[in-house]
Amino acid sequence: MNILTQNDIQHIDYKDVDLLKQFINPHGRMMSRRRAELTARQQRAVETAVKRARFMGLLPYVQK
Amino acid sequence: MAKDIVAEIDAKDTPETSELRIYEVGYHIIPTVKEEELDGVVGKIRALIEKAGGSFIAEGAPVQMKLSYPMSIRENERHSEYDHSYFGWLKFEAPVEAALVLEKTLQADMQILRSIVFRTVREETRARLKLGTLREVRRTDTIKAPVRRVEEVSAPVSEVDLDKALEELTTE
Repeated sequence: MNILTQNDIQHIDYKDVDLLKQFINPHGRMMSRRRAELTARQQRAVETAVKRARFMGLLPYVQK
Repeated sequence: MAKDIVAEIDAKDTPETSELRIYEVGYHIIPTVKEEELDGVVGKIRALIEKAGGSFIAEGAPVQMKLSYPMSIRENERHSEYDHSYFGWLKFEAPVEAALVLEKTLQADMQILRSIVFRTVREETRARLKLGTLREVRRTDTIKAPVRRVEEVSAPVSEVDLDKALEELTTE
């Protein structure tokens, strides 16, 4: 079971950087749905939130 | 990405239907603005929403933060780059036109480094979990546990027993 289902998280906020960091790898790239163990709907929601967070400078686009 | 996000979403709807919708605006104020003047900048955004017939649902006051990457803004025919900013957000209910006007106004504002306006839901969207428990132990952190040492029982050994033991060893 994934973190979102465990904690009954329905909406993913782009400001929740610590939560979003659970779904990105050390290079700043998003994890695959299989690795993150998310449902298709959750993966789409996380993707949108990560992209918003990147645009707003809360998350990096790339990490060395 | 932020280019006319609201316009794209609302393009399907007819402009006549000005029903109220829930939006959220996130903004970065340039760090050269003094802390005393922050209220004025936020006040301008709030006034814009109120003027367009919007009402507020939630707000996050601007807080200084380090950006994940430097952002540049054009200021009087030259580019300035910032790696810090004051980040704040507002959730409000307003007609479609208000969101469009707000998006364009924020993009044109010289004190706003970057902004985003998007549709959201009325409910609280922040996660209510203790993320401290999710964080992994840093690789640099070393676990300092006391080294376990089994103490040997040092009972006094008599000379007779010692001789016997030596004899057994030599006879073998």
